[in-house]
Amino acid sequence: MIEQLYLFARIAGTRVAVRSNEIEAVVKLADIAPVPAMPLHIAGLSALRSRVLTVIDVAALIEGRVTPAETGRLAIVADIAGHSYGFMVDSVSDICTTPDGELPLRGQLDPCWAAYARGIVEDGEGPSILVTLGAFIEPRQLPVAA
Amino acid sequence: MDDLLADFIQETLENLEALASEVVAWEADPSDQVRLDSIFRFFHTVKGSCGFLNLPRFEKLSHAAEDVLSEVRTGSRTADPHTVSAVLAVMDRIGELAEAVSSGASLPNENDDYLIQGLKKREAKAEVADVAAPAVAAPREGQSATIRSIRLPLTLIDQLMNGVSDMVLARNELSRKLRERANDPELEGAFERLSTCVADMRDAISKTRMQRVDRLFAAIPRMVRDIARDLGKRIELTLDGGDVEMDREMVEMVVDPLTHIVRNAIDHGIEAPDERRKAGKPETGNLRVSARQSGNQIVIEIVDDGRGIDVSRLVSKAMTSGRLTADVVARMTDGEKLDLVFQPGISTADKVTAISGRGVGMDVVRANVERIGGVIALENDLGRGLRITLRVPLTLTIIPGLIIRAGGQHFAIPRAAIVEILHETNEMMSLVTIGGAAIATIRNVRHSMIDLEDVLRLPRQAQEGPRTVMVVRSSSGIPYAMGVEAVENHEELVIRPASPLIMAAGVYAGMTLPDNGQPMLLLDAGGLASACNLPSLTDDGVQRRAEEEAAAERVDQVSALRFLELTGEERLLKLALIERVEDIDASLFGRAAGKAFVRLDGRLLPVAKDCGTFDGTMVTALRLRDGEREICYPVASVLDIVEMPTEPDMLLTRGVLAGVVVIDGAHLEVLDPFALFASMPVDDITEERPTRCVVADPNDIWAQEILAPLLRQAGYSVALGTDDMASQPGDILLCTGAVDPQALPQGKPVIQLRSTPRAANPRDTSIYRYDRDGLMAAIEVASRGEAA
Repeated sequence: MIEQLYLFARIAGTRVAVRSNEIEAVVKLADIAPVPAMPLHIAGLSALRSRVLTVIDVAALIEGRVTPAETGRLAIVADIAGHSYGFMVDSVSDICTTPDGELPLRGQLDPCWAAYARGIVEDGEGPSILVTLGAFIEPRQLPVAA
Repeated sequence: MDDLLADFIQETLENLEALASEVVAWEADPSDQVRLDSIFRFFHTVKGSCGFLNLPRFEKLSHAAEDVLSEVRTGSRTADPHTVSAVLAVMDRIGELAEAVSSGASLPNENDDYLIQGLKKREAKAEVADVAAPAVAAPREGQSATIRSIRLPLTLIDQLMNGVSDMVLARNELSRKLRERANDPELEGAFERLSTCVADMRDAISKTRMQRVDRLFAAIPRMVRDIARDLGKRIELTLDGGDVEMDREMVEMVVDPLTHIVRNAIDHGIEAPDERRKAGKPETGNLRVSARQSGNQIVIEIVDDGRGIDVSRLVSKAMTSGRLTADVVARMTDGEKLDLVFQPGISTADKVTAISGRGVGMDVVRANVERIGGVIALENDLGRGLRITLRVPLTLTIIPGLIIRAGGQHFAIPRAAIVEILHETNEMMSLVTIGGAAIATIRNVRHSMIDLEDVLRLPRQAQEGPRTVMVVRSSSGIPYAMGVEAVENHEELVIRPASPLIMAAGVYAGMTLPDNGQPMLLLDAGGLASACNLPSLTDDGVQRRAEEEAAAERVDQVSALRFLELTGEERLLKLALIERVEDIDASLFGRAAGKAFVRLDGRLLPVAKDCGTFDGTMVTALRLRDGEREICYPVASVLDIVEMPTEPDMLLTRGVLAGVVVIDGAHLEVLDPFALFASMPVDDITEERPTRCVVADPNDIWAQEILAPLLRQAGYSVALGTDDMASQPGDILLCTGAVDPQALPQGKPVIQLRSTPRAANPRDTSIYRYDRDGLMAAIEVASRGEAA
């Protein structure tokens, strides 16, 4: 069996890991066209060649604070249910396998992460929260941008 | 799986689908030889193919069916309902087997012999006969015509579609780049050609995505027949509009809701024959399913003449289930009560039957229809029937759209949704706010007014000019007015579906990537209206009255062009007299014989105002025409087109001015066209027109190749043939001997040419054809004679 690869990134200052098969690419976003009348965490639309990404401000989803829009931000690109999304991240560190695989959660997780955490993945630098990208786009009741 | 086998299965399943309605139609009219033949052909094909594919069960079934049908064909057996049911059962079994083979499942182990026995049994059971067969009017065309076709995977077509969409984007970008550069007609021509090709290709590819609604209807006759037989009801089914085309994916999406509605109609709507007789209706119920295209929507109507929906029972059910309280019911309108049928868990059916009421209610139907951007509407007539209307979009791929700006952002809106665009400052419009509700009155029709920025919660940007107001018509509701910063452009947009997160807002219909690379959202006109909870009450009376008033007003108004004279006055001239306005090179103006003229299109036109020289290189001029004559009227600039009263406010009877009118508080002089044309010289500057030489025999090679170039070189215009002589007074005829002079048009100077250097007799006035000087002199003399 091929060992599972994980992408290690940082969202809202927290280390997260994403299974590599969920990911299509990591890109620097061009201009983001804002979409009005949307929940806070939907940063807008961004063109990637002839595709249009719906850009999700994951940090806003977690912390409720909108990340200032600027070009050149890193985003993880993924196709979910036929639509392309870009998930904004602070930084990306590595793609690698882990010796121990996915570990169960321990300790008391911050409630804002609880909805997204699937477990813990440890690499050489320490633990990361394992997340699935699909969870970030599930519809939920959220404050709407004023 | 073996390719051959896969093809066979695919083909069999498709044929089955197409045949289902044929069989039912055949049952209704057993004498229909064409349908019988097509069914027979199906079994024959199946039998033939499965022989070498080694599918014994298929072979046995199809063989038995073929036998029975061939008996029917020879007339030794009639196509009674029993036979038809047995044939249908065999077709169903073949379908099941085919499904099983394609999915790789083990073949359902049922006794085929039972079915085959059923086929062989002659009409023995009497009770089967009293359930009358439903008469089905299915369209006759269709399967009998063979169209050459190949099978393609859908993904390939989607890929093509995407490719063409990208091509359209690239073309748009190229066109923008070309506009920025200096114009090069050759390059533009080539680009035009490319552009046309791309457009044609896009149309063709779009067509591959389209499918006849027939496919949607194919399963209905069979379903109606089976359910009606089960329930002992008689139903006449009418299908209409099967040739309407809609997007393949849309067809897929509509199948389930439509099936459900038809089932409901038969099960709950149309009554049993006894009941219908008691209600004074014919025993046979009518069910009509029709499709038509309306703009960019497909309208599917399902109409039955059954018992309709009992609204009071809906209400009592909702109340007993604790969903509604009495005081809420008291406030509800009839329409809202009827809408309860879309509430989950509420049905007027008393008991759950096998046909409908399997927990899938109208709530699911509505959800499915709305998910694809459709609308469902009910028209209930208790005791007399129900009409259900589904409106679904035709396709959402490429639509003409307008680009609008609001709150500093750009949005697209389908052009079909826009009725009218005007500026806020337009006189025809007035804006009032009452109790927070903004109302825009446009030509006496009152519209709800919303501002796009408010709906989208965007900040209003400060702007210099007036805002733009659009009258928007949504797919279901009534028109409303929407204020935006500006309407910027009109473009063909490739629409892609937006992600569910964005669609959830309810105001967007999709997104598009225009050639500037900035993604843009497509607004949903209906969604915007419902997001603002606009009242949906039509204001028809006012509109009609307004139209009548407007028509009455228009009678004594006339359109006029407002322009600035070279001497600085603003004047008006009736628009109807102005053929066109154009910028003319100042060097084309000149004077001859004391008259001013301008050289246009190879003719000289008199100039109305002799003003000598012009400043600048181009002169703006009005070209006026009184029916026969044309004059040129130079002006400083054209200002506007205005409505002016036919009677001036102050009449002047002398000079070139007819009077003075007051428009927008300004006094404007009105030019008198009568005086204008009267002051012009009657004889146009005809002397300047070159004499035309007409060669009488158009087929003479010498005349074409040698004479005509010589004449043209000498400054004459040349015509070959005498066909249009009458229209040109200054013509001179040239004959080259072969033509009979009597056959020529009379009253024209004729010059006869001969091919010998010497004249045949002294009276011969013809000219040797290579005598250049003689020829030229003769033409000169003739043309002077004609002019005099």
